[in-house]
Amino acid sequence: MAREFKLPDVGEGVAEGEILEWLVEEGDAVTEDQPVAEVETDKAVVEVPSPVNGTVREIHYDPGSVVEVGSVIVTFDVEGEEAAGEEVEAAESEATGEAAPGAAESEATGEAAPGAAEPEAGGEAAAKPAPGDGAVETGAPDSPAELEIDEGRQFAPPSVRRLARELGVSLATVEGTGPSGRITAQDVRAAAEAAAAGTAAEEESATRPRDSEPADATPAPEVERRDRTLATPKARGVAADLGVDIDQVPAVEEREGEALVTEAAIRQFADAQQAAQTADAAAVAGTAGEREERVEYRGVRRTIGDRMEESKYTAPHVSHHDTVDASRLVEVRAELKERAEAREVKLTYMPFVMKAVVAALKEFPFLNSTLDEEADEIVLKHYYHIGIAVATDAGLMVPVVENVDQKGILQLAQEVTDLAAQARDRSIALEDLQGSTFSITNFGAIGGEYATPIINYPEVGILGLGAIQERPVAVDGEVVARPTLPLSLSIDHRVVDGAIAAEFTNTVMEYVKNPALLLIE
Amino acid sequence: MAESLTLVQAVRDGLHDKMAEDDAVIVMGEDVGANGGVFRATEGLYDEFGEDRVIDTPLSESGIVGTAIGMAAYGLKPVPEIQFSGFMYPGFDQLISHAARLRNRSRGRFSAPLVLRAPMGGGIRAPELHSESKEAFYSHEPGLKVVIPSTPHDTKGLLIAAIDDPDPVVFLEPKKIYRSFREDVPDGTYEVPLGEAAVRREGADLSVFTWGAMTRPTLAAAETLADEIDLEVVDLRTLSPIDWDTIVESFKKTGRAAVVHEAPKTGGLGAEIAATIQEEALLYQEAPVERITGFDVQYPLYALEDYYLPEAARVEAGIREAFEF
Amino acid sequence: MVVGDVSTGTELAVIGAGTGGYVAAIRAGQLGMDVTLFEDDAVGGTCLNYGCIPSKALITATDVAHEAGNAEEMGVYADPEVAVDEMVEWKNGVVSQLTGGVEKLCKANGVEVVEGRAEFQDEHTLRVAHGGQGQGSETYEFEHAIIATGSRPIEIPGFEFDGDHVLSSRHALDFAGEPDSVVVVGAGYIGMELSMVLAKLDVDVTVVEMLEDVLPGYEDDLARPVKKRAEELGIDFSFGQAADSWEETEEGVLVRTEDEEGNVSEFEAEKTIVAVGRAPVTDTVNLEAIGLETDDDGFIETDDRARTELEHIYAVGDVVGEPMLAHKASKEGTVAAEVIAGEASALDYQAIPAAVFTDPEIGTVGMTEAAAEEEGFEPVVGRFPFRASGRALTTGHSDGFVRVVADEDSGFILGAQVVGPEASELIAELALAIEMGATLEDVATTIHTHPTLAESVMEATENALGHAIHILNR
Repeated sequence: MAREFKLPDVGEGVAEGEILEWLVEEGDAVTEDQPVAEVETDKAVVEVPSPVNGTVREIHYDPGSVVEVGSVIVTFDVEGEEAAGEEVEAAESEATGEAAPGAAESEATGEAAPGAAEPEAGGEAAAKPAPGDGAVETGAPDSPAELEIDEGRQFAPPSVRRLARELGVSLATVEGTGPSGRITAQDVRAAAEAAAAGTAAEEESATRPRDSEPADATPAPEVERRDRTLATPKARGVAADLGVDIDQVPAVEEREGEALVTEAAIRQFADAQQAAQTADAAAVAGTAGEREERVEYRGVRRTIGDRMEESKYTAPHVSHHDTVDASRLVEVRAELKERAEAREVKLTYMPFVMKAVVAALKEFPFLNSTLDEEADEIVLKHYYHIGIAVATDAGLMVPVVENVDQKGILQLAQEVTDLAAQARDRSIALEDLQGSTFSITNFGAIGGEYATPIINYPEVGILGLGAIQERPVAVDGEVVARPTLPLSLSIDHRVVDGAIAAEFTNTVMEYVKNPALLLIE
Repeated sequence: MAESLTLVQAVRDGLHDKMAEDDAVIVMGEDVGANGGVFRATEGLYDEFGEDRVIDTPLSESGIVGTAIGMAAYGLKPVPEIQFSGFMYPGFDQLISHAARLRNRSRGRFSAPLVLRAPMGGGIRAPELHSESKEAFYSHEPGLKVVIPSTPHDTKGLLIAAIDDPDPVVFLEPKKIYRSFREDVPDGTYEVPLGEAAVRREGADLSVFTWGAMTRPTLAAAETLADEIDLEVVDLRTLSPIDWDTIVESFKKTGRAAVVHEAPKTGGLGAEIAATIQEEALLYQEAPVERITGFDVQYPLYALEDYYLPEAARVEAGIREAFEF
Repeated sequence: MVVGDVSTGTELAVIGAGTGGYVAAIRAGQLGMDVTLFEDDAVGGTCLNYGCIPSKALITATDVAHEAGNAEEMGVYADPEVAVDEMVEWKNGVVSQLTGGVEKLCKANGVEVVEGRAEFQDEHTLRVAHGGQGQGSETYEFEHAIIATGSRPIEIPGFEFDGDHVLSSRHALDFAGEPDSVVVVGAGYIGMELSMVLAKLDVDVTVVEMLEDVLPGYEDDLARPVKKRAEELGIDFSFGQAADSWEETEEGVLVRTEDEEGNVSEFEAEKTIVAVGRAPVTDTVNLEAIGLETDDDGFIETDDRARTELEHIYAVGDVVGEPMLAHKASKEGTVAAEVIAGEASALDYQAIPAAVFTDPEIGTVGMTEAAAEEEGFEPVVGRFPFRASGRALTTGHSDGFVRVVADEDSGFILGAQVVGPEASELIAELALAIEMGATLEDVATTIHTHPTLAESVMEATENALGHAIHILNR
């Protein structure tokens, strides 16, 4: 009899596969576990084994077809078998087992957090065997619902008629394959199984949407409620009158290991409940003037919000953190500070960091790029326009200092000061807010150590600077106080891997630690 | 090996096997010998064990009980039958004044290990005095044990345990269900311990305590109510001493209780159960104990019998009241 | 029971211990149920006591005598003396052997047999009255019940059975000493069987029948050989006569009949036997107490699981309807017991065989050619006369034939009719063929022993296929 074989779930988060090649032809005999097809999924190429001993009756998809998991890809002819569910399940879990190592490998870096799409397919894969399994095993309704005896001549022996009743099959629906169309026991069994498969398919498709909900839904917050509470009958009466659930009343005493609640406790609880309810009601009723306020979400705020959303939800962010000993930097700046003031330039650490960043970008050009999603190309930029995040009254803005590699420290310092001022008084030109290839955000100016900055889309990286201050550092086995600069680098993992991010950061740190290096850059 | 027996056949079987095992066991009563008992409870025993061990007595309950006491005090194990429990009253004096007190009176030198068997209860369309259910009279007397079985298996086992008990046991057989159903009863002697109740149906919402012929309608009510109320049904089996542990444990689990007995309400054992429950488990109690019982009237003649006995509908109604309090 | 009424509980109460009731009871006992079987008269019911068995015993006995006395052709010369009272005694012995056997089987299967008339008190209670045994009556509470109260001979108004002048078939099987002459009212199978028994005992038999031929309900070519033989045996027939009244005469009885036009005829004999059919017995169980009604013909309606309107009460046998045959009752009894026990059983038989034990015998099962056409089949018919059967010739009885009706297209056997020697036995093979959904080819290609009468069945199917060997095929 015929056995349909569906494409099993071959790995985590995989909903479809491409049939690369068939390893058998229609009419071939196959043995259980013999590979019949090669299927490619997102992660790996997998061999799909036959679930039965039999022959290949029909192949349903050509090589190159992309098939959804669960679609029937091939039908086998098997002799005299009963429940199909178990074997199909075994094949599914086998295939899953094979592909899993492949899936695991690519995850070994452990960084790519599965996004929203994955739990859907994963949950589906895990749960799918169960409903199909149960339905097919029983074959037909558990207790034969009484069938009406068909009127008119039936051409089936009495034992076959009885079998039909036991399996809940109406003879009128059975096609007889015996001589002259006589109905045989085999015909009845086939009809019963077809009915069960239909039920199973219905149940499966009915359950699948349900299974596709994320497996780890947030559990509802728990409410304290006991199974049993002791109380005098009088106390219970009081509880009933006050509309209190005695199992929720906090119990101070215990008897025989069970919580005991007194009449007083019940009254107290009722009062508390009452007060809470009053407060809630008041809130809802809108004496809310003092408690809530509404502010319109538009303008710069909204723009910032939209762009942050776009960035965060498009680029998979990874943040890399590190701290660099800034003692030398502090010294150098101190040395140069007076000179700068003489030229009326405010010299901060920023220009030094910018130079360090550019030096690192030259070594790691992929951090200075953009992913052109439409063209499926990464655009590496050989110019260095650094965006500097500025906090203004209107919100965050990122003015751009162009060609940082070509400008001196003081020039950079001046430009940063000017652009920041322009940004704050809203006189900055639009073009000065565009075109950056990499950005720096100095939240340390306000305070803080580490953060997870959001990339200034469509750039690939952003470096966040924590506050430079004295912190304990281990030097030659002893703890000393040194000025340190915490760094937080966020990168777009589509373009750059964690390893590169780390190396880039190390490079930046080299230049910060030893600013003299910038001279030979 | 087991046989499928009715309750009255189990009585006979128990008597037979015990008599075969122990020569001290004597059966006596009106029509128990040659006739085999008006309910066939002693059928064939006379032929098998002879007139010395199966004694047809005169029509004298006082004489029957008194003679049995004497036999018991001197080493025999008599099983006197009172033809209907309502006929017991002439023999009451013997039972209460003497059988129940012999051990105490003699400071343990004498005891009266007799088993007083009598068919009890209504439901058989019988005339006056043939439908009594006065187990409370006997439970109230210290020194007596009272047993009321509800299944054939229990009947034989409890009867054998009663015969082996060193003190007087009043063994009341609910005659309404003498032949109502059959059950596998093991061959040979075996005991079902006295003083142990049986949980016939486990449940979580409400405990029903009952015994004798009322057990079956109570279980039937439990099935009918199964969707609404999850009933626990406890068959007391021994009415003195009552298995308080089982009763209290059940009540602590459910917090609500009903008692079903065909005996009249006032002074019936339902009151004893209600009192003890509130003593032992007041803090668990969520509703008053509902007593579903016979009425405080003389047992009516048969035209009204069905109104008197707490059968299915009345049991269900009573349980609902207790549940919905 | 001294005072009061202790009711006895039982799982299944079967009312009536005839071929429907006792079979149901034994089957239920086999399936582990607690069964109580109530019988007011005799275990085995009509069939064992007053019908099938005694009649077939007498038929055989009279045949033995008759054959022996008419076998000169074979070189056997004899004039057997028949002691009718001994014959009747032997017949009674056979009956009690069988009823005793049924009682033993009941006991062995855990069925309790209670003597008395059972009637319903309510849907789950019945009372059993022990007539004349001094014990009054008892109450039984049952979970399920099967009504198997059977049927009784129809009494024509004016012809109340008195067991002396006006006999029912039951009385007829029991007479001590045969009458010289009998008027048999009714030429159905019972009337014909009895007539032939009597004729073979040299009783002067006249048969009066309301319809126009013997064995109404059977095809003409089946009835004809029987009528011919009956006439050979000296039986006189008068058709179109409805029995009207009778009066006692010196000889015995004078029966008056009327035809359609109102003409009156008179027939005189020592006794009259009235065999005009049977009516269901439903007035003894107090159906009102359970709210069951009978249909216009007095039968209890049931479904294909033998259930009445009340889910826990079943009815089987003659009380349910036609055909009033013992084997139909047994089948229904078996199915009812199985259904009650929770099995997937049902009344799904494709055909019920029937037999008439006249001389020659008739056996039928399934559809006639006409019926097959009505059902929409295109019937093909095969026929094999016994005069072409070697075995038939060796028995000296070669009147009659085997006819098989099949669907031309598929070859499925739809029905069969046999008239001739052992027709009652031969029909069994064809009943099996129909139930199995066998085709003509299946039977025709099965080797049948030679020389037997059964071969004729094979040849009839071959004839339908056009290639019977021992006759010309059309």
